[in-house]
Amino acid sequence: MPSLLLEIGAEELPAGACREAEAQLPELARAHIGAAPSELFIGPRRLAFLIDDLPERTADQWVKGPPESLRDKAAAGFAKKHGVSVDELEVRDGFLGVTVPGRDLRETLPEQIDRIVRGFSFAKSMRWDESGIRFARPVRWMLAKLDAETIVGETSFGHRFTHGAVEILTAAAYADSLRAADVEPVAEERRRLIVEGLDAIGGWSDPAGKLAEVVHLVEKPVVLESTFDERFLQLPERVIVTTMQSHQRYFPVGGNRFAVVANGGDPGVVAAGHTQVLEARLEDASFTFERDVAVGIDSLAERLATITFFAGAGSFAEKAERVGKLVERLGGGDASLEAARLAKADQASELVREFPELEGYIGAEYARLAGYPDAVTKAIEEQYLPDAAGGPLPQTEPGKVLAAADKLDTLRIAFELGHKPSGSRDPYGLRRAAIGLVRLALEGGLTIDRELLRDELRDFVEERLDSLLDVPVEYVRAARASNVPDLGGVARRAEDLYRERESPEFEGVYTAYDRAHSLAGKAQAAAAPQLDRGLLVEDAERELAETLAKVAIDGNGDIKAALESGAELAPVMERFFDEVLVMAEDEAVRANRLRLLLDVRDTLGALGDFSQIPR
Amino acid sequence: MRHSEHVNYQEMIIALERYWADYGCVLMQPYHTELAAGTMNPNTFLRCLGPKPWNVAYVEPVIRPLDGRYGENPFRFQHYFQYQVVLKPAPENVLDLYWASLEVLGIDLRRHDMRLVEDDWEQPTLGAWGLGWEVWCDGMEITQWTYFQQLGGFDVELVPAEMTYGLERLAMFLQGKRTAFELEWAPGVTWGDVYLENEREWSRYNFEEAPVDVLTRRFDEYEAECRHLLETGLPLPAYDQVLKCSHTFNLLDARGAISVTERAAYIGRVRKLARDVAAAYLGTEEEDAVAAA
Repeated sequence: MPSLLLEIGAEELPAGACREAEAQLPELARAHIGAAPSELFIGPRRLAFLIDDLPERTADQWVKGPPESLRDKAAAGFAKKHGVSVDELEVRDGFLGVTVPGRDLRETLPEQIDRIVRGFSFAKSMRWDESGIRFARPVRWMLAKLDAETIVGETSFGHRFTHGAVEILTAAAYADSLRAADVEPVAEERRRLIVEGLDAIGGWSDPAGKLAEVVHLVEKPVVLESTFDERFLQLPERVIVTTMQSHQRYFPVGGNRFAVVANGGDPGVVAAGHTQVLEARLEDASFTFERDVAVGIDSLAERLATITFFAGAGSFAEKAERVGKLVERLGGGDASLEAARLAKADQASELVREFPELEGYIGAEYARLAGYPDAVTKAIEEQYLPDAAGGPLPQTEPGKVLAAADKLDTLRIAFELGHKPSGSRDPYGLRRAAIGLVRLALEGGLTIDRELLRDELRDFVEERLDSLLDVPVEYVRAARASNVPDLGGVARRAEDLYRERESPEFEGVYTAYDRAHSLAGKAQAAAAPQLDRGLLVEDAERELAETLAKVAIDGNGDIKAALESGAELAPVMERFFDEVLVMAEDEAVRANRLRLLLDVRDTLGALGDFSQIPR
Repeated sequence: MRHSEHVNYQEMIIALERYWADYGCVLMQPYHTELAAGTMNPNTFLRCLGPKPWNVAYVEPVIRPLDGRYGENPFRFQHYFQYQVVLKPAPENVLDLYWASLEVLGIDLRRHDMRLVEDDWEQPTLGAWGLGWEVWCDGMEITQWTYFQQLGGFDVELVPAEMTYGLERLAMFLQGKRTAFELEWAPGVTWGDVYLENEREWSRYNFEEAPVDVLTRRFDEYEAECRHLLETGLPLPAYDQVLKCSHTFNLLDARGAISVTERAAYIGRVRKLARDVAAAYLGTEEEDAVAAA
């Protein structure tokens, strides 16, 4: 059976579109050609696949019609619909039907190919002509070969500047024909060639992860090494690396060396050109850097009063002041206070305007140049951490405190202004800030007083625990209602409760809480405001009150001890319910007993809201 | 490298003019009010709307007050030049036409690393977007390339290709110069000779002297005039007011007179005007078509 080669030739597709196409093409081939590709060719100017052993005709298809018993009533309509006479209908298993003969591939391919082209779904697509087809970039040619036979189109095309039209003799010869025309059509092979070239240079790195994009920026990868003038090494390292990687897609090779992956050209000319461009960019950054350094970090900090943090949230100077106060609340020392004062200074720098992704880092570099100690500069650098799901936390104590204070401030002010995120709208990145804050408490061991988070904001932040903890959400909710004073404590409480859930002490506390809550929880209004010991008449209720008075539950104390202490109430509660009628005739006695039960519930409730936990 | 081996700045422009005129473009002249991009010239923005084909090429001085550096930074200017080519509708061989224009300038495409790097263009103040690339020549961005999809909030009827050559960068590449100031404009005259003092004075004006209260008032006046002209059925003069609003906003921005909150509001006002002008312009285009029929 023959092999089919299909090529969609396009103007330079973005790397993201190439990856989308790579993911979709196999399924599109299956859906419209009826077979899976044996090879995919994905690159900036062509999306192609090869299918081996494709039947030249599609299979005959049996179309089932009405039962034979209804021949008189229904056969005519069915036959007409399929363009045959009633006499031509066949009978199988008691049903009438027709055999629709399979079609030759040559006949169906043009239509199927059109469906494939229209079947792609790109995140960003465009129109370019009257056809109305949408694609990531304009489609400029198509080629379909069934072995040596050309079904659609005429030729392929080689490298844009060194080769024109390329004759593809057979479907199987596709890749080799293109290789002879300066095009490596297999993405994986281009990647291998690039890595091989980079390895030959040695010591390369790709901190911003540009390799996946570069694979789709070239059809004929040529890896070149060059150097830039050493005087630019005065620039902060990440400024150099960002210029190389984000702006130019180069790979740092250490010191003043770099590697570039070109799409052909004369190596000497190309390397010299890229070097000149990189040096011009570094020269531009140097101008900016030197101007900032001449101003100095302290003067930059003084300019913050004129820069708005965000609407209604005051200036960056005000933010710095609030962050400083929060640092104090979080127990930060001198280094974190100094860092808080300087943390936002780089927002007034010109370099951060050019490299917004380096905020924090640039401030830290400027502070270092001004002679501030490591503890301060490190904290400034770490203030935005963690900045991604699972990203690293600050490593230093002042860094942790500053990072937490910064996030707390953003959350507090945003909630105060009513910017609680809704749905996918979260323009101030509050979810990320909340997750970061919780992780600083959980993994960073920072004590963050829950008093700093009020109302809606406390819920918003603590809801992040649901997904961060490996504990059923009911236990998280129970712990959130406890009297634990700090954020990390809530997490520990949830874990403790979950771990202890099958112990007899937990059982005892749970039962006591549950019985007290079931009976008195809804009768809060009828309960006395305070327990009156003089109204306790029965032994069982006096015993309960006395036992309750001895129960000790310390907010952050040992969970075992607290549960043991609380569990003392279980037998006493049992006796109470056996011997005492809560709903006594005397209103005062009744109100007092309800209060006693509510006190039981609330005392145990310091451990958590057990009514959240299903049994 | 010696100057005489390379095409100078004005010869480069002449070569582009010759090439695109030969292709069939109408050669236009720069617009008469400040623009931050050649795209804003009505010969692109308005003419790319509607059903009429239109091929045009022109030099556009672009004015971006915030980018001035008092002539101290040889890579940043508040005033520089673009060469703008628009082919509407984009012919199938439009990229080949573009590459050939570089060959005319003396670039041997086989010796250099030419690449098209994804660059999706969006101009919120004009309610406009398109997909395209930055054209890289040995890593230097020499052209912005865009297939417009929407202008003034309207889908384009015929998809135009817009090629915006960055003339300074292109010339730096062609002449092997490290800064724009060193470029040879004409024999014996450099870009710096012509524009260095200009950068110094205009940077002072843009950052220090431009009168904030007057500009703030003018923005409101241009906006009101635009509204009035739209009511009067004069979309072309109305569009000039949009351009003046946009430039006034840029000046206020350079003066640091626009807070983050106000910024969004100003941009929204300009976008609204641009959208209404585009709608009015499309309306007169339709009337013309009806009249012609």
